[in-house]
Amino acid sequence: MRKMRKILLLFFMVSLGYYAWAQDRTVSGKVSSSEDGSTLPGVNVVLKGTTTGTVTDSNGNYELIIPASGGSLVFSFIGLLTQEVAIGEKSVIDIALSFDVRQLTEVVVTGAGVATEKRKLGIAVESITSANLPAAPTASIDQALIGKIPGAQISSTSGNPGDPVNIVLRGVNTVQGGTKPLIMMDGIQMGATDLGSLDLSNVERVEVTQGAAASALYGAQGANGVIQIFTNRGKEGPVSINYSVSYAQNEFINSGNVNKANKHSWLTDADNNIVDVNGNILTYNSQGSLRGIAYENPWLSSTGTVLAAQNSRWAVLSPDNVSDKPYNANLKFYDHFKQMFKKGSTWNHSLNISGASGKMDYSLALSHNNTLTPILKNGNYERTNLSANLGTEVFKNFKIRSTTQLVYTYNDIDKGFGGGGGYKYGLGDRSGDVGSVWSFLNTSQFFDLDYKFADGTPPAYQNAEIVSVNAWNPNYDAYYNTSADKKVDLIQNFNATYMVNKYLTLDATYGLNYRNQNVRWTYLNQSEHINGTWTGVYASDNTGEIVNWQYNNTFQNFIGNAFIYTDFREDFGWNIPLETSTQLSFDYRKKFYKEYDSYGVGLPLVPPINMSSTGDQAVLYDYEETFITYGYLLNQKINFGEFGGVTAGFRSDYSSAFGEGSKPFTFPHYDGFIALSSFSFWDGVKSVAPYFKLRAAYGKAGIQPGVFDRYVVLDQGNLGDDLYYSNPTTPNNPNLQVEVSTELEVGTDFTVSLNSTGSWLSELNFAFTYWDRSSENVIYSVSNAPSVGYPSNKTNAIDMSSNGIQFSLNIPVIESPELKWDFTANFGKQTSKIDAIAGGADIILTSSAGSSAMTLSAGQKIGQIYGYKALTSFDQLKSDGTRYIPEGSEGEYDIVDGRVVNIATKAIQWTENATSLGDPNPKFNASFINNLKYKNFLTFGFQFDWVYKSHIYNQVREWMYRDAIHKDFATPVTIGGETGAYTAYYMSAYAGSSASLNGGGNATKDYYYEDATFLRLRNVSVGFDIAKVAKLKYFRKLELVLTGRNILTITKYRGFDPEISSATTANSAFDRGVDNGTMPNTKSYQVGLNVSF
Amino acid sequence: MTKYRFISTLVIASLMTGNFACNDQLEVGNPNNPQTATSVVSVAGLTSLAQGVVYIDGFYDGDSWLGNSYFSLPYGYQELLGDMVGAPTALNQNINRISQPNYFTLADGSTIVTGVANIDEMRDNNTRARTGSGYNATYYQWLNMYALNAGCNQVLDLIETITDDPSTIATFQAWAYWWKGYAYASIGSMYYSGLIIDEYGGTSSDYVTNDVVIERSNYYFNLAYTTLDGVSDEGTYSSVLGGLIPDFTQVGNGGVPTVAEWKRNINTMLARNIVFNHLSPVINGNPAATITGATISPMTEADWQKVLELASDGIQEGDVVFTGRSVSTNYFFTATGGTAASLTIRSSASATSTFTISERFIQNFKDGDARLANFSTDTKTEHTTFGTRYRNTTGLVGSDIYDYGSRNVGEYELFIAGSYEENTLLLAEANIRLGNIDTGLGYIDAVRDHMGAGIDAVAGTLTTEADAMEELIMERRVALAFRGVSFYDFRRWGMIYDISMGGGSYGNTYYYNGAVYNDVIINYNFMDYWDVPADEAELNPSTSDVSTVNPNF
Repeated sequence: MRKMRKILLLFFMVSLGYYAWAQDRTVSGKVSSSEDGSTLPGVNVVLKGTTTGTVTDSNGNYELIIPASGGSLVFSFIGLLTQEVAIGEKSVIDIALSFDVRQLTEVVVTGAGVATEKRKLGIAVESITSANLPAAPTASIDQALIGKIPGAQISSTSGNPGDPVNIVLRGVNTVQGGTKPLIMMDGIQMGATDLGSLDLSNVERVEVTQGAAASALYGAQGANGVIQIFTNRGKEGPVSINYSVSYAQNEFINSGNVNKANKHSWLTDADNNIVDVNGNILTYNSQGSLRGIAYENPWLSSTGTVLAAQNSRWAVLSPDNVSDKPYNANLKFYDHFKQMFKKGSTWNHSLNISGASGKMDYSLALSHNNTLTPILKNGNYERTNLSANLGTEVFKNFKIRSTTQLVYTYNDIDKGFGGGGGYKYGLGDRSGDVGSVWSFLNTSQFFDLDYKFADGTPPAYQNAEIVSVNAWNPNYDAYYNTSADKKVDLIQNFNATYMVNKYLTLDATYGLNYRNQNVRWTYLNQSEHINGTWTGVYASDNTGEIVNWQYNNTFQNFIGNAFIYTDFREDFGWNIPLETSTQLSFDYRKKFYKEYDSYGVGLPLVPPINMSSTGDQAVLYDYEETFITYGYLLNQKINFGEFGGVTAGFRSDYSSAFGEGSKPFTFPHYDGFIALSSFSFWDGVKSVAPYFKLRAAYGKAGIQPGVFDRYVVLDQGNLGDDLYYSNPTTPNNPNLQVEVSTELEVGTDFTVSLNSTGSWLSELNFAFTYWDRSSENVIYSVSNAPSVGYPSNKTNAIDMSSNGIQFSLNIPVIESPELKWDFTANFGKQTSKIDAIAGGADIILTSSAGSSAMTLSAGQKIGQIYGYKALTSFDQLKSDGTRYIPEGSEGEYDIVDGRVVNIATKAIQWTENATSLGDPNPKFNASFINNLKYKNFLTFGFQFDWVYKSHIYNQVREWMYRDAIHKDFATPVTIGGETGAYTAYYMSAYAGSSASLNGGGNATKDYYYEDATFLRLRNVSVGFDIAKVAKLKYFRKLELVLTGRNILTITKYRGFDPEISSATTANSAFDRGVDNGTMPNTKSYQVGLNVSF
Repeated sequence: MTKYRFISTLVIASLMTGNFACNDQLEVGNPNNPQTATSVVSVAGLTSLAQGVVYIDGFYDGDSWLGNSYFSLPYGYQELLGDMVGAPTALNQNINRISQPNYFTLADGSTIVTGVANIDEMRDNNTRARTGSGYNATYYQWLNMYALNAGCNQVLDLIETITDDPSTIATFQAWAYWWKGYAYASIGSMYYSGLIIDEYGGTSSDYVTNDVVIERSNYYFNLAYTTLDGVSDEGTYSSVLGGLIPDFTQVGNGGVPTVAEWKRNINTMLARNIVFNHLSPVINGNPAATITGATISPMTEADWQKVLELASDGIQEGDVVFTGRSVSTNYFFTATGGTAASLTIRSSASATSTFTISERFIQNFKDGDARLANFSTDTKTEHTTFGTRYRNTTGLVGSDIYDYGSRNVGEYELFIAGSYEENTLLLAEANIRLGNIDTGLGYIDAVRDHMGAGIDAVAGTLTTEADAMEELIMERRVALAFRGVSFYDFRRWGMIYDISMGGGSYGNTYYYNGAVYNDVIINYNFMDYWDVPADEAELNPSTSDVSTVNPNF
């Protein structure tokens, strides 16, 4: 610590004087866009090899005083190809810059520390500018990034407004920590605000470093990679005013056409009325329910004994029952999905005013997003963002900048319908609770969810005695519940940069990120409801309750950098093209989280309805946590001109979460590149391959233990008025180590020149990376023998490894003055597995989405679903070597849809032991992005995302099998030569398990483990710029944009949406492959208008 | 310019190295939770811990999938396997399977086969993976009771570091010994083998058979008994104990027992340990029936004498006993889901419930028994095994008739350990078995009177042991319903054993396909003592010669 301080001070002392330059002539000119001829303000114009330079003014003009000897001018601007022009004797140099498709000249800072051009990087850093981010109706950055980052698996796992996306950058490297990367904004970690809360319209650029090697700069928080957002800055020129408005209509995707069976096998009379065993036509009773429903046939054993009567639950297993009768008499078929899922809508407005003059730049933005949920149109998710980015040069070479974003989010979607709230919800990145939405899955299709009692209340449950027993009507929740979720976010960064001289730049940034959130759930007194039941959370009767959740997050991050640059040729006169940059940083982060939750039960039937009017109150949770980490970074880069470069460095981190507190952990990193195309031996192939680079990087990065995981404590609570202490079921561990992920990545970037003279397929740009990483000391709770008093303990239990490849391919398909067509393909393939678990025993898990079983087993892929497989052949053997189907009795069985089925009972046959069903993570994911532009006014773009061989356990389908409700039950199958929609066949897929038929029920089975490969038209948009055609005065742009999002999905998956993930907490490391209780994505049609002045 | 440069360099440099970082900042602590070293340093702190390890570690944690406490989950299995309740609709867990008998034989000789075998169900589901999915019945009682045992070891370890007041120490020790006795009684009465762990933080893989675990239970019950003799100051005793027993349970039969009352509670539990862990079969009306191949041996006359002796000094009418009760907030179980009883209640004819009332429970009520008014016949359930004409209602609160459950907060009284009814029926059974039939029947009448049954006395009306035992069995099943002992009774009377072993249940009522059948023979064929859960046996394999799997099945 003290030594570090000395070193830093030493560097600060180094300050050298100014150099004077001969100034004896002026060069001027205009910079324009080669694309449309428009003038370009803000372009950097620098005399090569000096610090002499300027930027173009609002009309694209520049003027620069240069030495008589001349030299070369370098024109550069982000996103445009840098050009170098020899000055010679010229005094006017006009130039047209074209877009840099390869973007190799693009400068990145994330993962590089010192701002570095991509072509001089030894690591893979992805970046994307706002122009390439689609205007998703959610107006959120995370949604917009989907498919844009090669290698990254960014998936939208829910269509519920405000829900976060799942992000896996390079492999699953942790279990407890989840896969969420470090999120930074303008150089500072954003530790309190969700990515989804930021204003998409205010984003200028996003950089993503995926690998541990690249994110080694971030030390103990870097192992999941880093996403950094850069917000808009004002550009030199006249005031720029942009306004856009859009309206979208959203509805849930149901690509598998999920529905309930519209035919049945109930006992009916001659008119097809559904009757009881005595022939009485069924009618709905005063409770909205039915009594006396019966199957057409009882279930008989082979000898004729009644195994289940017609009017009992298990008659469904009778091979004589066939669902072939329509609901066309006393009971009707209701499409519950239509009754529940309506068309939602979104309004987006954004206004941006920006500009710069002299030493001051500014960008102000105001945006508003309002989304009406499609679930019963239950409520709105509204977000308002106010942003300001102000920069100024206080005196020469000393710049300060302030970026501010204020966000107010109001969400009145009910708890259970996607609303927020709950225990530790304030820590962010949680999906809303959709627990009530799907409660109708077990409501039989002959009940009307929109039915109302005479007093106007909806029924709570509509059961039919032997089926529909778990029925519940979401309209009941919607009637009695309300929720209000109010959230204020402040993200404030201050930055000061001082270029002491050309060798030394000092830079300091302080960020304060604060969030205050309050969620209140109200459940009205339900004691007058006819069903006599209730909905609630902590109440134990039907008199209602209020639950109040209060969350506070404060996150502070200070980063101080010293950058030292040398250029051996310029500075020391050595004749070698050696440039060095050194980064010394100190980084301090502190997070403070506070939560106070309380509830009251027993509400009056009359207003006021508030906490004071509840009968009994209790404190649910009073909690605060502090997390502090700080570290030092030394990063040394040496570049040999264009030929190559190396970087080496380390970061040392201290953390309050490390076991024993004070021991630092050091993360080293090395990388290097060699641009073969820069060497003279390449000249022969330069016409074919103008650019070719090889790179490699090695680094370690970490994941912190949970904030309090190292403090051994007791639990506490109240029993009546008494305070009790109890022992946690998973005790903490005082010796926890940071999780460390080690990565090696190798890659190449190259350009192949295909048709340098024509406008078609002029070149091909390719970037490829292979990575391999291993994680050790991964923390998780491992089971121990319960006789010690607790069933599991937390420890550095797991070793993991993962590897993958990623590439991006970019082709300017056509580049002509009339038409431009740019094509990009992104591809990523990755796999992660568990190598070892301390103690060796499997870790048994249950999906948060339901009862699906999962295990973490040494040697297996992470996130595997664990269940029973159907027999697929007659001679399959049990674990003891005997046959499942005795020799000679094969004739009693048939193979249906690949599974062995008993012809007499119509039952699918199952193996006796549960085994792993496979890795639900995709084999690869890819996206194909096309952007076309006709002249300067018509744009057309579309993006296809392809996720290959992902798997989902379709728990929703299994639940709908429970009461024979799923539409499959009305789908005929052929068994032993006879065709019919046998209820017994489908029911055996629910009830069968190892024990016997009608067994375990709901056991996890491969029947529901489905291939969720999909191809999705993620985005398609057409834009027409009226301003360009009509040459409107004052309007720089008046563009009408029609956008479709997720409007086409091609998949064999039989659920709603193959893109969903199981976890109720986003970014779970292992719980991703179960479809139950998650909301599908929405497909949206959007119309928007963008106006620029 | 130089000045600016100097100042800004200084500012930035001082920011960079300044006040932010220092190591002691990293000791953020956890201000939210108590730590043993800082919070369990006084009698008050130890009271909080000694209460929590019992009511939360022992009876609450880990029990949330079926109801929400030990009294809904392991108690629920007791009532299922004792055929007091059924679970026809809960298809997603195997509670709808494990208590189904192999078959029913009707009076006409026809047989209804369920296709379910308890032993297969128990074994197939006793894997760690099945525990994770909520299917492994063996797991929960083991988990709770060893958590309770470990917590009591912790309390015992701490007492003498906190106080040197002998009455305070004795009260805490008696509390811990009593619950250790309770935990070992539960383990030894349910599992074929178990572990003895009496050191705080201790471990063991030296499995012992169930009878050795019961011996250890008796040891701790007796230790609790003798420790209570060390209470010199009754005031200290009752104030310490009053802090350990939650206030909201200190109503009805609950409260703070006197030293003498607690000792009588101990005697009842000691008698229970003998009775529950020996056979005393009554098969098809034969009180001298025998079972072959059972894990436990029959009661001897000496055993019955010992039971008589203990029960004679056991719980008396009006004694305070250990109870649980729901409360609207800050509970250890809820009114609607925390007890096996609450899971049977349907608030209306169209409401559903997890458990249904078994016909084999109701058949034990005699005509005119006022307690039957708890159950309504307005809704029927169809099921091969669980078919029934009855539903439990919210009950008879406020009447003088016993209430079999309520979903209203605070109404239902749950018995955690022994009760007056149980002790009195132990007296009845011991007397009948020892030939004092009339004395025994008198105790049955006493229980019926106590519970407001309002039926004629049987004392003096029956003369044979067989008739008296039939009466005893009927009353025990009626009186002790939902108190977590039904399976133990069913087991020791032999009903759960396969007919080929001499077991089986005769003369039953059976509701099937809308018809009522009488005189039905049921072959349950259950495993008598459970295997150790795989979660223990696999992670902590036996190093003794005692198996973790019941070799008799």
